[in-house]
Amino acid sequence: MPMMKMLLFSPEMFYLAMAAVFFGLSLQRKVNARSSYVIAMALASAGLLVAVMSVKLEGMLFFDSYRVDFFSQVFKVLLALGTFLVIFVCDELKGVEESRHPEFYLLLSVCTVGMMMLVSAVELLTVYISLELSSYSLYLLVPMRRSPERNIEAAVKYFMIGACASALMIFGLSYLFGVTHSTYIVDIVKVLPQVISQPAAIIGLILTLSGFFFKQALFPFHSWAPDVYEGSANQVTVYIATASKMAAAAMVIRFIGFSGGESVFLKNTLVTLCVLSMTFGNLVAIIQKDVKRLLAYSSIAHAGYMLMGILSMTERGYASAIFYAAAYLVMNFACFMVILKISSDGRNLKIKELAGLHNRSPLLAMTLMLGLFGLAGIPPTVGFTGKFYVFAAAMEQGYLWLVIMGMVNATISLYYYLIVIKAAYLLEPVEEFPAIPVDSRYRVMSMALVVVMVYLGMFPDKFISLAEAAARSLL
Amino acid sequence: MLMVSMEMSQFPILTTILLSTIIPLLVILFIPDDRPQLVKQVSLLFSGIGVVLCLWLYVNFDVQKGGLQFVERYLWVKSLGIYYFNGIDGINAPMMLLTAIVLFTGVLTMWNLEKRVKEFFALTFLLVAGVYGVFISMDLFFMFVWYDVSLFPMYPLIAIWGGTRKEYGAMKLTLYLLAGSILILPAIIYLWVQGGATTFDLFELQRIGFDLTTQKIAFVMLYFGFGVLAGVWPFHTWSPVGHVAAPTAVSMIHAGVLMKLGAYGIIRLGMTLCPEGLHYWSELMALLATIGIVYGAFVGLAQTNLKYVVGYSSVSHMGIVGLGLATMTVDGINGAVFQMFSHGIMTALFFSAIGYIYDRTHTIYMPDLGGLSKTMPVASAFFIIAAFCGVGVPCMASFWAELLVFISAVKTYPVRGTLAVFGLVVSALFMLRVVQTTFYGDRNEKWAHIPDVTLVLATPRIILIGVLVFFGLFPRLILDVIQSAVVPFVSSF
Repeated sequence: MPMMKMLLFSPEMFYLAMAAVFFGLSLQRKVNARSSYVIAMALASAGLLVAVMSVKLEGMLFFDSYRVDFFSQVFKVLLALGTFLVIFVCDELKGVEESRHPEFYLLLSVCTVGMMMLVSAVELLTVYISLELSSYSLYLLVPMRRSPERNIEAAVKYFMIGACASALMIFGLSYLFGVTHSTYIVDIVKVLPQVISQPAAIIGLILTLSGFFFKQALFPFHSWAPDVYEGSANQVTVYIATASKMAAAAMVIRFIGFSGGESVFLKNTLVTLCVLSMTFGNLVAIIQKDVKRLLAYSSIAHAGYMLMGILSMTERGYASAIFYAAAYLVMNFACFMVILKISSDGRNLKIKELAGLHNRSPLLAMTLMLGLFGLAGIPPTVGFTGKFYVFAAAMEQGYLWLVIMGMVNATISLYYYLIVIKAAYLLEPVEEFPAIPVDSRYRVMSMALVVVMVYLGMFPDKFISLAEAAARSLL
Repeated sequence: MLMVSMEMSQFPILTTILLSTIIPLLVILFIPDDRPQLVKQVSLLFSGIGVVLCLWLYVNFDVQKGGLQFVERYLWVKSLGIYYFNGIDGINAPMMLLTAIVLFTGVLTMWNLEKRVKEFFALTFLLVAGVYGVFISMDLFFMFVWYDVSLFPMYPLIAIWGGTRKEYGAMKLTLYLLAGSILILPAIIYLWVQGGATTFDLFELQRIGFDLTTQKIAFVMLYFGFGVLAGVWPFHTWSPVGHVAAPTAVSMIHAGVLMKLGAYGIIRLGMTLCPEGLHYWSELMALLATIGIVYGAFVGLAQTNLKYVVGYSSVSHMGIVGLGLATMTVDGINGAVFQMFSHGIMTALFFSAIGYIYDRTHTIYMPDLGGLSKTMPVASAFFIIAAFCGVGVPCMASFWAELLVFISAVKTYPVRGTLAVFGLVVSALFMLRVVQTTFYGDRNEKWAHIPDVTLVLATPRIILIGVLVFFGLFPRLILDVIQSAVVPFVSSF
């Protein structure tokens, strides 16, 4: 029954339809920013609903190159949630020309479709095409920023480094194909663990992974992140920092899952990348003055933490990475939402401009503080529970030193998060800034984020079971 | 604790005590900014409830039966084996009482606070929630969660309301203490993995019993991790700086209760789960503790700032706790736990007295204060009594604690024990010197206009002195409780 089968594809279809709507709107001569925002918001909410409703679906599509399982569906929900949250903060999309707003939403929807396809793709060419679909949308979104300051530099950097990563990746894919004689992951999984000790196979896998590491901004594929975070419009930064990280994490989990966990060389490589990424990201973040750049470096460090769960290559390890990814989405969004709200005219924000935030808006200050404490891994926030879970998974495989390194890094990171919190709570502003108007929508969103961050931190049982179910469906 | 007697009590008293700090926290957040007096009243009410509950707990603790009482245990996270597991035994019962008393007197001490009152009391309650949580938790995961919850409010509390070099002191203290958790968290997870990765329940892990290598590794990590907070030499340097920077009530809670969390963590996690590890590392523990005692006394001798003096005397006194634990004898551990309690009350009294003097004179520089007892005899008396207690004068709680520790220390480690006693003599010398320069000598006309303490303002200090003298006169009331846990504990070594 082809109709029933196409139901499996419903989240992707929905976002494709959303893209079509905005394509139509972008053809109009006169653009109404307000109405396109309302439409986008409505569609994004509906999209989230569709993604949640299709979470239980299972099946194969398109000559078995496309697999719908609980793992992919969980990540589709996360992607839909990320997209919803990003569109939520687009009500004051000052960073992008008003006439370009429909195109902005169009690219956002196309990118989401690409990432949703990515997390379900189980055939190498499908993987590559989905990845490029999402990447090209992002390459276009970055230079959309109105101000001519650094957006072009950021866009070119992103494109060049992205193209290099793609080249490396397709090179790696060709090696994988050469070693296993198949582009279907089902077949590769059967062959790969036996040949994983061969240099060609291991290099193929690592090169393939580097394409996703680029998306994740893992060291040494991170160099685009600070400039792109700084150069793009704030909302685009939020999208790159939240939704696009989810897809990358999903793919790293999936591809490392293929290796079967036998290769010592692969493990050592991943451990090295993990330590370097955490340490580099955290150390460089200390000296940042721009909040977005600071969060960019912190995202490099967080890619390292996520990798720590993945490299234990056990069900618990993958589950912990999924849990951490979801936690990261919420915490990171909480921080970005506050930043967006403070810089309502769409420019970048320096740390010292946060001074006196607790007077200008106590609610936003609290949201920011909890988000940052979450990122630093302080209980009872979800960030702590995520880190604990990741560390537990790694320790189970005997990585005592790696866990200690992780804790050292968590302490380093606390230093710069505290600097931001200090600015918001302790510093008195040089000039008196007006209070920040927080309308009821943002009020509810802030409260919801605070509650979710604390609730998931205190009562993680259900969500850990969910993450474990997702990890099981993967293996 | 070979056989842990467990029974679920009908009424979840321990959770209620936790709630007595979490409810006021939420209530305070919803009180309007322009009603600071209401905030203080709510704080006083709930901290008073805490005292009543902890006192009830202490009195109703069955010394004959011993073991773990008032147990609450629920499965929390199934796949990792985390339990919400609370209980009271002879070691944490006095700690709960200590926390409640220090919080209550701390709230009273801060009655005149005017700056950002709401946030101050909310953060204080959050801190104390963490402290209560660590003391009652019998699950490793929850212990760590509460431990961190108790640490991070210190940063804003010092950085906003602090005094000298507050931002530096706050950052140093926070990073030092969280650096301690760099070792604690991996050690906890390591023990969990070695125990089969199925449970964080302290007693189930204890029953599993770890091999020697595991115990050695885990114990040293836990010892140094918690040792940072307990002010173990050479990781003590945050403590004097932090004390000087902190506002009065925070110094009270911090030196009085928070430092005890470190020692408590070593007992509860390190010594319970890794007795063999304790055997292996006890020599080092005794050595570092002795150095701490002597070093704290000598450095204290050179200080001219009242808060630094108390800070270094804390290093010295916490060394006594460490030395008592390192002896691995019933008397030594009894004395160590008793010392934790009496030092907590005593330091709270110290900081409370200093806070009162500082609020009036705006200096804690000793030579400036000279002859203070002539203008403020009562206020001076509080400090002098605390100093006597610190020196170990009989009839004060510390006397018994220090006596027990030193007797068993000299038996177990003759050289180090004797050195430690010598350190105590030096600390007596420095305390008397402090008292002399600050309170005696010529009357200082600069402070002549300052009125002495009124009865209302003296209340918190009178309560603290009362507790010190009460347990100094009736030490059995606390030693029996402690002993009910320590005797089975030592026999399991």
